[in-house]
Amino acid sequence: MHPDHLAVVLDLSPAHWHRPPLPLDRFLAHILVFLNAHIAARPENTLAVFAALPGRAPLLYPDPDAADQPPPADPNVYPPFRRLDSIVTARIAHELDSLTPDESLLTAPSALVGALTKALCYINRLNLATSQVDPRILVLSVSPDLSTAYIPIMNSIFSAQKLKVTIDACQVFGPDTVFLQQAAHLTGGSYLHLTETSALLQYLIMSFLPPPAIRKVLAVPTQDRIDFRAACFCHKNIVDIGFVCSVCLSIFCQPVPVCSTCRTKFPIKTLQRLNASRPLATPATPSSARPSPAATPAQPSAETPRHRAPLLTGEFAQNGASSQPVTNGSKY
Amino acid sequence: MPSAHPYTSAEDAKIPQRHAFLPFLQSQSQNTLTRLYQRPSSCLSLFRLLAPVERQIIMNLLWLESVISPATMLTWVLREGRKLYDDALATLGYLHILPNNDKLALNSTFKSSFRQALTGGGTSGSFGTPASDKEEKKQPIDIDSLDNFALERWETILHYMVSSGTGQQPTKPSQGVLFLLQRSGLMASSHGLLQITSAGFQFLLHPPHDQLWDLLLQYLHLAEERQMDLVEVLGFIFMLSTMELGREYSTENLRGTQKAMLEDLRDYGLIWQRRPSSRRFSPTRLATTLSSSSPPLPTSTGASSGPQEGFIILETNYRVYAYTDNPLQTAVLNLFVSLKYRFPNLVVGSITRESVKKALTNGISADQIISYLITHAHPQMRKNNPLLPVTVQDQIRLWELERNRLKSREGYLYTAFASQADYEFVLNYAKELDVVLWENAAKRCFFGSLEGHANIRGFIERRTMGASS
Repeated sequence: MHPDHLAVVLDLSPAHWHRPPLPLDRFLAHILVFLNAHIAARPENTLAVFAALPGRAPLLYPDPDAADQPPPADPNVYPPFRRLDSIVTARIAHELDSLTPDESLLTAPSALVGALTKALCYINRLNLATSQVDPRILVLSVSPDLSTAYIPIMNSIFSAQKLKVTIDACQVFGPDTVFLQQAAHLTGGSYLHLTETSALLQYLIMSFLPPPAIRKVLAVPTQDRIDFRAACFCHKNIVDIGFVCSVCLSIFCQPVPVCSTCRTKFPIKTLQRLNASRPLATPATPSSARPSPAATPAQPSAETPRHRAPLLTGEFAQNGASSQPVTNGSKY
Repeated sequence: MPSAHPYTSAEDAKIPQRHAFLPFLQSQSQNTLTRLYQRPSSCLSLFRLLAPVERQIIMNLLWLESVISPATMLTWVLREGRKLYDDALATLGYLHILPNNDKLALNSTFKSSFRQALTGGGTSGSFGTPASDKEEKKQPIDIDSLDNFALERWETILHYMVSSGTGQQPTKPSQGVLFLLQRSGLMASSHGLLQITSAGFQFLLHPPHDQLWDLLLQYLHLAEERQMDLVEVLGFIFMLSTMELGREYSTENLRGTQKAMLEDLRDYGLIWQRRPSSRRFSPTRLATTLSSSSPPLPTSTGASSGPQEGFIILETNYRVYAYTDNPLQTAVLNLFVSLKYRFPNLVVGSITRESVKKALTNGISADQIISYLITHAHPQMRKNNPLLPVTVQDQIRLWELERNRLKSREGYLYTAFASQADYEFVLNYAKELDVVLWENAAKRCFFGSLEGHANIRGFIERRTMGASS
């Protein structure tokens, strides 16, 4: 078995971490324990952590300028954990400090796609460097879907499929994201929308820690309803019914005479027929997720654990007070 | 000497191989294990020796405060994985990590220590006290010299084993190592000279990682007999495996037993000390990779020569080209290859019936030869599918079968039946019991196995008595 490579994308959008249901320091404490758990499983396991900030997606770990002195050894901490924790916390603090207090930048959407793409590039580089790893990406998102990001996200999904990378997605709080659901579904990953943020660590460990081989033994939550809606290329709206160019497969929210992507002209008859067939009263708010036959779990046994998930975490939450993971060095 | 595990290809993850060390731990008392689990470093190292499913089960339960009923946990298990899951639970039960099978909850000592290992903190100091830089002016030893030291020590041991009995006089390892080799049955003393045994030959063909654990296991058995505190010994070995390569550690916080171990481990090449009396030590790569499961091996194919992963090319005409100048590797190859030429960086030989038969009489099995060739195959060979020429593999196996043409079974020969009817009657009875190994109707005799003798004898006696009365 090859060692696992886990790339984690942390969505640190300041706009959404302003008054969150889960304080950022608690969130990071949970994340650090989860990252340690990944390294704990095998010494050869590797890790890359990216932050998605407004307009940029810096690599947090491994530290790109690794010239820093290694932290002094502590007899009570396993050295790799200590290095990981101190680098990640220091780099996040650095990145957050360097945010300009410019209002327009702070509210700008975070570069989730940028981080995702960087993670894929990083994995590609690992593959080129002959080191054989089983790669995985975990996206921890707090922002809602950004419909302008539809095409880049789909492109990332296709490259992930090509690289055989599983994308897991976890919406820690905030509304469900359609695109991450699709990313997880199309790459064979798992998508979770947390309801109980205080049990974040338990969710992370049970659903996202096991590599794909283990997921064949111990099930992870799968989605039985996936929102497969796409965003149109013309107005970047998420559409219920779209019109697809028969030549280049671009999606439009209304019939167009000329495809804006490939410049194909459509016959006027077709346009008229399509316009006639459109439902007149298109609801402004599209109905919620459509269950799709492809998304229903194939095995009945995979269905059951889904309903068990809140049970385990519920117990965790009840007694959670004494089980707060305390990670050294996470001072915020 | 634990039995040799057949080499399975790295992709074969379906049947996880149990670490050779776990059976030893299972044989320890609950008390010993619980004391061992008090140290976070021991928990972390042990965790890494477990199979992936076992690790995930521990992780799932680690941060839960309440007890989970097995039925709840079972709903997570997919049907195809049921057996793996049950085996994992059993292993964890033996190790007293999951003490109770009715309620799934981790051993509380293990739970708190392992949580501490993951989050840091505490005052156990179980990951080793680093030596402070002020005490000594000398520069700490660099990683290359540490590797060379470990490699030299380790190869001295193996080279001594492989060349015993060939009349050469290689450097002798220390007295402690010799004693351990003898105690473990890898070498035996004959006419006052240590000779390698068949277990020793098999040992030589194992990958270095297995060899190291084998030797450490023997060391633990020895420690048990010497009335050393096993918890201290195990704790020290586990601590070494979590230490950082190239860093110096202080001996100050070590217990008495552990200080005594320093000398032994220095002999095996696991740790380095400037002077025997030095108050600081550095673990070598042999020690720090102990708990890693994959083979970035400390001693693999010699740091000095050739590519790290493999050096052997085997052709369909039974020719072996080994790109090595390492005397140990040459000596190991010599166990089953008849060597022809030697160049500064290349040894050429061929696998012949005689050379394989010699290896077989030494107690090496055909599978071990094949697995050695696979493990050390040159990267060029790895493009082939199958990796080794099938003809050579088959032929080596056939040569092994040649030795097994005769099979001996103990039993009784029944002859001199009075009549054909008599003979057939008894024979039918024996056949019903399924104890007939051979029969010859013309000579009116048959051969029955040992187990069936009492029954057949009773049957014949009852018959003759019935006939005479």
